[in-house]
Amino acid sequence: MTETYMVEPDLEFIKEVGLLGAEDLKKCYQCATCSVACPISPDHKPFPRKEMIAASWGMKDQVVKNADIWLCHNCGDCTTRCPREAKPGDVLAALRTYAIQEYAVPKKLGKMVNDPKKLPMLLAVPVVLFLVVGIFLKIFGIHWLNFSPSGEEIVHAKFFSTWLVDLIFIPTFFFAIGVFVLGLKRFVGDIHEEALKSGKTDKKKIDPKGFIEALVRVIPEILKHKKFSQCGENADRATSHMMVLYGFIGLFIVTNIFFITLYVFGIHGPYSQLNPVKWLANIAGVALVIGAALMIKDRLTATEQTSTYKDWFLVVLALLLGVTGMLTEMTRLGGAAGLSYTIYFIHLVFVWALFAYVPYSKLAHLVYRTVAMAYAEYTERS
Amino acid sequence: MDKKYGVYICEGCGIGESLDIAALSGVAEEEGYSVKTHPQFCGEAGVELIKKDVAEGTNTIVLAACSRRVFFDTFRFEGTITDRCNIREGVVWSHPRSEYPKLTDEEKEDEDNFDRVQMMAEDYLRMSLARVEKVKLPEPYAVENFTRNILVIGGGITGISAAIDAAKAGYDVTIVEKEKYIGGYAAKIRKQLPCEEPYESLVPPIIQSKIDELEKYSNISIKTNSVVARIAGEPGNFTVTFKKPGEKIEFDVPYPLPEEMKVDENGKELEPEALHEKYMEYNKGRRDILTLDPNGEHFGAVVLAAGWTPYKPKEGEFSHLGFGDIPDVVTNHQFEEIAAKGPVVRPSDGKAAKSVVFIQSPGLEKSDVDFDYAGAVTSLVALKQAKYVREDYEDGKSFIFYQHMRTPGLTESFYRGIQNDPGIFMSKGSVASVSKNGDGVFVEAEDTLLGDKIKVKADMVVLGTGMVPATAHEPVVNLAYRQGPAFRDVGLFKGYSDSNFICFPYETQRTGIYAAGPVRRSMTMEESMEDATGAALKAIQCLESTSRGVAVHPRSGDMTFPDFFFQRCTQCKRCTDECPFGAIDDDAKGTPKPNPARCRRCGTCMGACPERIINFADYSIDSIGSMLKSVQVPSEDDYTEPPLRILGLVCENDAYPALDITGLNGLSYSADVRFIPVRCLGSVNVIWIKDALSQGMDGVFLLGCKHGDDYQCHMVKGSELASIRMKKIGEALTSLALETERVAQFEVAIDEYDKLPTIINEFVASIEEIGPNPFKGF
Repeated sequence: MTETYMVEPDLEFIKEVGLLGAEDLKKCYQCATCSVACPISPDHKPFPRKEMIAASWGMKDQVVKNADIWLCHNCGDCTTRCPREAKPGDVLAALRTYAIQEYAVPKKLGKMVNDPKKLPMLLAVPVVLFLVVGIFLKIFGIHWLNFSPSGEEIVHAKFFSTWLVDLIFIPTFFFAIGVFVLGLKRFVGDIHEEALKSGKTDKKKIDPKGFIEALVRVIPEILKHKKFSQCGENADRATSHMMVLYGFIGLFIVTNIFFITLYVFGIHGPYSQLNPVKWLANIAGVALVIGAALMIKDRLTATEQTSTYKDWFLVVLALLLGVTGMLTEMTRLGGAAGLSYTIYFIHLVFVWALFAYVPYSKLAHLVYRTVAMAYAEYTERS
Repeated sequence: MDKKYGVYICEGCGIGESLDIAALSGVAEEEGYSVKTHPQFCGEAGVELIKKDVAEGTNTIVLAACSRRVFFDTFRFEGTITDRCNIREGVVWSHPRSEYPKLTDEEKEDEDNFDRVQMMAEDYLRMSLARVEKVKLPEPYAVENFTRNILVIGGGITGISAAIDAAKAGYDVTIVEKEKYIGGYAAKIRKQLPCEEPYESLVPPIIQSKIDELEKYSNISIKTNSVVARIAGEPGNFTVTFKKPGEKIEFDVPYPLPEEMKVDENGKELEPEALHEKYMEYNKGRRDILTLDPNGEHFGAVVLAAGWTPYKPKEGEFSHLGFGDIPDVVTNHQFEEIAAKGPVVRPSDGKAAKSVVFIQSPGLEKSDVDFDYAGAVTSLVALKQAKYVREDYEDGKSFIFYQHMRTPGLTESFYRGIQNDPGIFMSKGSVASVSKNGDGVFVEAEDTLLGDKIKVKADMVVLGTGMVPATAHEPVVNLAYRQGPAFRDVGLFKGYSDSNFICFPYETQRTGIYAAGPVRRSMTMEESMEDATGAALKAIQCLESTSRGVAVHPRSGDMTFPDFFFQRCTQCKRCTDECPFGAIDDDAKGTPKPNPARCRRCGTCMGACPERIINFADYSIDSIGSMLKSVQVPSEDDYTEPPLRILGLVCENDAYPALDITGLNGLSYSADVRFIPVRCLGSVNVIWIKDALSQGMDGVFLLGCKHGDDYQCHMVKGSELASIRMKKIGEALTSLALETERVAQFEVAIDEYDKLPTIINEFVASIEEIGPNPFKGF
């Protein structure tokens, strides 16, 4: 960086990231212990020392557009060793939350997702949406939402038709994809611009082919949690994270199989417990519940690491999602119709919340970290 | 007094096993002394034995046992001359029999064999006997018109604190303050650094509470709008003349003649009388130092708390930082003045200064040196002033560019407190330039923690310039001393008034004057108040020691003082000039006028005097001379291969303790060296070296403190003066056809005991190479 650049600290930014969990940010005195302690930080221009000063100087662009904040897996090795208790790990987490808000449009929604006071409202949205759409369709004689489902067998689709689910969820899914696409477009441009400016790369332009190849190389590493398991301080977090990740992946696969069998072969659920797809669904559900529960336990017992609302939002949502899913199935098998239908409704509310709010919540790291890691791989930053 | 001698030889601590005690006793008995031995003199029975003798009239004691540095109180027998002959650390422990075996009975039969260790012990006993014969019991020096009043120069927070502390202890105190009001800088600021837990945030100035406390003491009087014209006399009896600032009076202190005026047109040194005449001419309208002001006020000791003045940048000095060209670039002092009036505003247009850059290092040529006279205080002041901007404006921003952020001790908590403010930004970095930007400025910094080159927009720039001690501009104390009115400038302290930062804070180079606060080094108010207590205690120590006629420091309690035999004085003025503490004045004829209460008893005058007319009761040219003459120097008449004899004159402040520690650690060194402790290498008179060599000793070395920039000499200049004298002695040696290498000086610190064997043995080896002294046996 030989060019002189203007530093104009953004006081609002400092205050905001402070509220997002970086309240000890200013305590940093730039000893760089964090960068040395970090097992996954690259040798050239390592993080998080430079992010600490840039953030404490309120240099918003430098940190928000910085791919390095995504390379951090928040092991907490830096936080444990920080002599000033500035908690670099938490600071980077807060910066990521801020970055997620920055890239997800509309920003207002992002702010709401990260504001605990808005939580009831956010959860009310799917409830209202389901009821409004369901009742609206009823006006036209389409009873996809049936408050008194008949028959001996408990079939959730009789209460909340699969058609209705898909009518609402498919657009929601694509909404989330859309928000991500818009965000990523800016994100990739920004991280590349910042990397060029700070001399982290000398590749002038991103070559799409090379980038996708890098992404392909990175994905197995992510699935294996190769970086995550290098963490010293709380290595067991990799296990619970892996359970949740594979839980979600499993459920995603199951959902897609159901989707295909329904629309292509016209086969309706519920499936027999002997069906291998059902096995996968159950295993994934259990993994999600256990993984999420472990995460919560870890966070409750962690002394060094601070957990903020954004963390609780995600892990609790994941747990509730799993628990309501499993309970829906168990109550169905147990024959408690009313209870099962109610839980199913709640389950759908959570699923929708997860889908709709993914681009704004901490879960967005799924996309940004993957892209940032692919970018790092592409620019040979390791 | 009639001396009644008693010689006591201890057999404990391995002495009895190593030495032939009967033979050792024989050395003294031959001379007619009665000798007593005991297995352990430091035990109750041993001490009682000596005490019984003392009660029966023994008043001159030689105790051959351990070093005088141990069991000091056990072996203190009031009213006696006691010499501690060091045969434990100095002989037995440092020369173990494993290395220096005893002679076998067979070997003893051949008279050409000798036992080096036994020889050593016997020599030390002879030296002790020679010494006690020559020394006298000291009598205290009584100061005339002794007074315990304390003068405090400076009515700032340091002076006020010192006055309160001294008054609390019951002393009458006078504060002299040059301004119209007391309070000093502490009364002119907006806020100050914290003085108590949790040390995190700024506090309102505390000076008023100090002034209120001061007013409760009836034994404190205050003279405002006054300065010291001169301080004459000595501790316990200073005559002080006060005047209004700027006034010219006859009792203004005279200044010594510049060197070039001390010679005549041919470059020859002027005779004392002509010199004095010229001096009076030079100081026309002022009375000589020896003329006392009949209206002067009387004080016993002085606390110098004259404080500091803000550094005034020279024209163009910081032009690269815009100082002088851009009105919104100010010093920290100017910024404080602005802040004390209200919200910080720009001097150029009076608009709010919401973005302020604080620069802690001028940073030219990539240098990381801070501003002159800067230190921890300037770092802390930058933190303090950065906070002003934040207090005044919610959207205010303060930037601090530093090379060094010094926040020692608990001020670290203050640093943390300031650092936590979201609007204060700090980075190491050197400021490359300050340039105009519309009605504001741009500050460019390099090598910052944020990158190579950055730029910040600012409304104002503040330079962290330093606190210049008051003594950098003028003497302040205005001492009517022959060496001059100021503390002697040893060229190391940049005008700070101090003698030795680490070992002796408060003690200036003038006994009875104790410095406190920023006149000593830049200090915070908290430090200044603590410093004031130290200086007040030191002043009290001075008064109480002087009242008993003993030295204050560093030889606390020493009752001896230099005694001049004036009949033989040649008015050479060497003692007056060389005294590190300006203790000696001289009259119109050039005759020295000693001021024993100013003296620190280092003996530099004794070492300097070519006529050898300056002596102490228990330390004299003769006493040391007799000691070294009592050393037996074996020649070829005695043995086929006689051992070398080398004399070591050892400074007793650091080198002698180091030597003891060498023995304590069982490290051995040559047994052919005989050591004599001296008060300071400055007290070494070259006659001793000549005497040693002319009686056949093969070499002489001096062992003393480091001199130069990091000097460790307790007497400031002693070891340095000795090294100058040793250079001169080389010429004398050459004229005697002796090698100059026979005389050497070595520097050693108190903790370098492990280096001593090498230093000593290498010197002995070098003498061995030169060969024995040709004068041996004459």
